[in-house]
Amino acid sequence: MRLRISQLLFRRIHKWVGLVLGIQFILWALSGSMMALLDADAVGGHDGPAMHVMAVATDGLIDPARAAGQTAVSGLVLRDLAGTPVYELTTGSGVRLVDARTGAPVRIDNALATQIAGHVANAPALRATLLERPNLEAREHVAPMWRIDFKDAENSSVYVSATTGRHLVTRGDTWRTWDFFWMLHNMDYFSRTSFNHPLIILVAFGVLWLSGTGFYLLFKSFRKSDFRWLRRRKPVA
Amino acid sequence: MRKIRWPQLVRRIHKWLALLIGLQVVFWTATGFYMVVVHIDTIHGDHLVRPVAAPSVALVGLTPPSAAASAVPGASEVRLISRLGQPAWRVQGEDGVAVFDARTGGRLGELSEAEARAAAKARFTGDAEIVSAVRLTRPVQEMGKRKPPYWQVEFAGWNRPTLYIAPQTGELLARRHQLWRVFDFAWMLHIMDYRDRSDVNNPLLRVATWTALAMALTGAWLLVWAFPRRKKRKSV
Repeated sequence: MRLRISQLLFRRIHKWVGLVLGIQFILWALSGSMMALLDADAVGGHDGPAMHVMAVATDGLIDPARAAGQTAVSGLVLRDLAGTPVYELTTGSGVRLVDARTGAPVRIDNALATQIAGHVANAPALRATLLERPNLEAREHVAPMWRIDFKDAENSSVYVSATTGRHLVTRGDTWRTWDFFWMLHNMDYFSRTSFNHPLIILVAFGVLWLSGTGFYLLFKSFRKSDFRWLRRRKPVA
Repeated sequence: MRKIRWPQLVRRIHKWLALLIGLQVVFWTATGFYMVVVHIDTIHGDHLVRPVAAPSVALVGLTPPSAAASAVPGASEVRLISRLGQPAWRVQGEDGVAVFDARTGGRLGELSEAEARAAAKARFTGDAEIVSAVRLTRPVQEMGKRKPPYWQVEFAGWNRPTLYIAPQTGELLARRHQLWRVFDFAWMLHIMDYRDRSDVNNPLLRVATWTALAMALTGAWLLVWAFPRRKKRKSV
């Protein structure tokens, strides 16, 4: 008798939680299915820039102290920027680039950004846009940045830092589709980044009851007769 | 032709699909719950390490970075780092990283054990003692794709905080602790890649997710009959 009551209670919990939160369970199953389906390599963006690194030229470089125009820095990098050796200097006032041969400041303009992006995308560039703050696609990166759109099958957008000229990230249509389903999955409908917000914690807690009671009911919902078809296979005579 | 009794049919499909996928759905919801409840910054171990204060380095008296670059084949980047408090050039070459003393220009070898311990201790926020410091030459699961060698420095504590230190530069490579390890295990169960814990496109996961979706949809369909309007009728 007790068992029957608890089974009834579990069924009641199962269907009520299903009624209230079932839609999110369906969305989780759907978005999970889609993310499993979309090829992770085509989605990209997880292993950082897939850019060919160029060896930096080392002849005829000036003293970094002269290039910096000051005697102390908090950071200094010598690297290649589209065929030119540059010093990337970090001081109290931010990051700046100077030509390591002449000491002249390097500005990442439209043409240079497009050239840098061209090392990543193998297609004609359509347009370059300067962003003063990161958009949704480049939300993990620091502005100002250039967005260079390419005419390829993926409609790729290559993001290049307007400060350092570094390739930040490349986004294509597969990523855009993936990101929509990722939003459905993490329920962060505005910034799409956090999966630790109160709404998802609440719903996830509720859905635990849906799956927990459902799992329990599996043991209550099958009778011996349900498995008759399995036994029928055996030759009787 | 016999009339199809939809509630019975849908219910049967729902429970058979649930029999197939039910245990995995319990895993998905349980591991998902863990991942949303424990904040990702905690998982990443942000609380375990101090941020590196950007030191002011005098450029006068340093050897030129170009000299360090030309000593390494295929050098793509030279970075000024603080190695155990001393300025050093970290050169990224074709075959890995080389480090040079930025004052003398001399090539530096690997950290000693004492230096690796000191490097870890300098970054660790707690005041726990170091339990072990081992230079690993074989990859460990929790370092993922990162290639050894690296120093594994473990501190005392219930969550077994472990810092991984690059043997040449003394830089912090990774931080791990028990909550991270539980998360990694949960992630493995979530994406059903039991070997590398990284392939989100594996066929098992693809079949399982669509099965779960079918189960969820039949479950939603059952809701139509789950709340009978007339009390007299026996529920199905």
